[in-house]
Amino acid sequence: MAERKSMAEAGRRKRNLLEIIVVAVTVALIVIFSVVVDGFATFGNFRVILSNSASLVILSCGMAVVIISRGLDLSLVAVMIAGATTFTIFINADMPVALALLLTVGAMVMIGLANAWLIAYVEIPAMLATLASAMLVVGLFRFAILQGEFLLLLSKTNPAVIALSGDLLPGVSVSAVVMVAALLVTWFLLRGSAAGRTIYAMGDNFQAARLTGLPVRTTTITVYVFAALAALCAGLVMSAASGAVDFRTVTNGTLLFEVILVVVLGGIPLRGGRGGVLNIIIGVALIAVLRNGMTLMNFTAQMQDVLKGLVLIVAIVADNYFNPRDTETDTVGDL
Amino acid sequence: MNRQPIVSLENVTKSYGGINALESANFELYPGEIHALAGENGAGKSTLCKLIAGVISPSDGTVRINGEVVKLSAPKDASERGISMVYQETSLVPQLTVAQNMVLGREKTFNSVRKVRNAARQVLQRLNFKVDPSQLAGSLSTAKRQMVEIARAVLNQAKVIIFDEPTAALTPEETDHLFDLMKTLQAEGVAMIFISHALEEALNHSDRISVLRNGKLVVTGNADEFDRGSLIHHMIGEELNEKMHVPAKRHEARSALPVLRVENVRMGSMVNNMSFSVFPGEITGIAGLIGSGRSEVAKVIMGHTKRNFGGGRIWLDGREVRYSLPAQAVADGIAYVSEDRKLDGFFDTLSISENIGLGWMAKFGRRALLAPLRKMRRISREWEGKLSIRSIGTDQSVLYLSGGNQQKVVIAKSLVQQPKLIIFDEPTRGVDVGAIAEIRQIVRQFAESGAGVILISSYLPEILDLSDRILVAKSGTIVADFPRADATATKILHAAIH
Repeated sequence: MAERKSMAEAGRRKRNLLEIIVVAVTVALIVIFSVVVDGFATFGNFRVILSNSASLVILSCGMAVVIISRGLDLSLVAVMIAGATTFTIFINADMPVALALLLTVGAMVMIGLANAWLIAYVEIPAMLATLASAMLVVGLFRFAILQGEFLLLLSKTNPAVIALSGDLLPGVSVSAVVMVAALLVTWFLLRGSAAGRTIYAMGDNFQAARLTGLPVRTTTITVYVFAALAALCAGLVMSAASGAVDFRTVTNGTLLFEVILVVVLGGIPLRGGRGGVLNIIIGVALIAVLRNGMTLMNFTAQMQDVLKGLVLIVAIVADNYFNPRDTETDTVGDL
Repeated sequence: MNRQPIVSLENVTKSYGGINALESANFELYPGEIHALAGENGAGKSTLCKLIAGVISPSDGTVRINGEVVKLSAPKDASERGISMVYQETSLVPQLTVAQNMVLGREKTFNSVRKVRNAARQVLQRLNFKVDPSQLAGSLSTAKRQMVEIARAVLNQAKVIIFDEPTAALTPEETDHLFDLMKTLQAEGVAMIFISHALEEALNHSDRISVLRNGKLVVTGNADEFDRGSLIHHMIGEELNEKMHVPAKRHEARSALPVLRVENVRMGSMVNNMSFSVFPGEITGIAGLIGSGRSEVAKVIMGHTKRNFGGGRIWLDGREVRYSLPAQAVADGIAYVSEDRKLDGFFDTLSISENIGLGWMAKFGRRALLAPLRKMRRISREWEGKLSIRSIGTDQSVLYLSGGNQQKVVIAKSLVQQPKLIIFDEPTRGVDVGAIAEIRQIVRQFAESGAGVILISSYLPEILDLSDRILVAKSGTIVADFPRADATATKILHAAIH
């Protein structure tokens, strides 16, 4: 029986070696930073890392689900900012928080639906559809609502803002709770729900999923609406923490790349069909540790970008070296 | 003939995963000879040509060029020795000009546009081709593109030119022109091989003909030793003709209503006024050459292909239907087993139980919120037993199964949906011999349970063995409809080829 089991494991697809490499690199970085940087290995700094990465984790949850279904959502950060803006305008106009939240959720669902409609019904490639909707959303919000401004300030005295940026229990921030909730919901969507089965099937072989009769359109809607809602959560957490909605987050593009970086480094291939919540955590851990360590070492933002780019290249080269592609496993778009 | 052959194959075998596509073939090609290859789909004609052109390498045996033993591991090796292949789907780069295409892969470090164009023009004029060398290849018609490929071969001073179904896309005038040209090249000492499904072409325009069947080269002889009847006879083989009159297994009166009726369906250039009916409890075989529009019409019925739909009507159980998504067809009880399981059949990173379970979920678990994992595993185990899928466990990835077991998983994924109409597209392609019989048994049993079955197969023995009724498709139309008792391999082949 034990032999059968080990044979069965050999028969399963090899685990992506990239995950192991990324975990090893993260551990190595933690060791190096702890030795080199004063104040890195403290409980206070650990909390800083955790709360700073909340919005990145939540965004990555949305992106991971989309990518596993063999899609891509380039409008994620734009939707995040649009959601935060909508909510801010509503509460700044003294609307009851519950109503403001409801309306914002409705608006973001509409954006998700529009993306999904373009992709599943009009059959535009996901990359182009979401790129177009990202530009549309950002342009519309900056032009019509902010009249060209970059920043929208939140009123610090609003109870909703105070609640979002504060602690739920002593020592447990609301952002951390939202982050854990996002991970749990993602886990349920991918592992526990019927839609999750279809998401993996679509990512593995979209044509086969379609021909088998799986509800590929409905599932595409689920995926992009989920991503839009994840973006909204991230937007609320991020803007409550910083006290402002900053459109430069979209226009400088760094955050979107970081989210894709997290998903890919975590071991979710861009062709889809593989990966899960654990991969998100692995990817965020590396990026968050790297970001925090470099900030403590007073690296400039530009230098940080260079290093993040290098890490990505090294990880992919190492993965290619240890896990060479052969004709059996090679697929177009595999990373 | 005492001359030395320019190309000779000695006991050459090519096998893919244990299945011989070509089995110890002995073949000789002499300078200045036009040699035709005949055979059914999958008989090994293309394999033979690709071996000579260096596209694939032999698993066993010797290839000699001008008496010298060679190892051709890439098309470049062959073209350096003067062997060129003109492909069925032409291999020109559409964004480059005719002249650029003709020197493609042989450019010098610095190329003068004028010199390249002049060299190309000279060859084109010598061959009497009216093609402008500075035109983009993508803007040419199929016939002209083929001309350019031939001109490329001539420019490269090819001694051997291989044509893969050169006349399939040509008009009669263009075909005549092509054969005139082949005669011209022949006079210059160029040896040519051509594959053709039009037997008259082989008989009228070649010096010698070789017939292949099931990967074996069964006969080679001078063209005047053959006629249409004897070629077809060699293509089909003796043993099959004897087996032909197996009595049909079911004789009950056919129920009046067809489960599926297709009328005048058109799609792009592939499906051209296709009409047929399928009755419950029967296996309706559709024979035909590759590209006769059989898989395409199946995908139109499923709602998988909807672009280029050119009209036509489809009835399922007397109700007119037109699906825009396979999910709707599946919900109504149609299932399609793909001809290419790796491309759109199974999910290769998922386990057997997930593959089969997803089929069940697509039909019966559509409204579920929670993934019915336990149910999926139970159904999967049940069907693994029913179809005797041999694996080391229900959690094994499908990728590591044998071809036959993979195919059974794909079939199980459709059978769990309990369809009233199932379309098997080449159900035994790339399947080990043992599993072929099992899969045929599965197809037969399913029809006996009362469902309508469409069997698309390019392998005539399979069609003859399984079908209760045999339709023949040609150029996107059904051209013949034989009851089981009347069908013979000869009749089917006569209807299917030009």
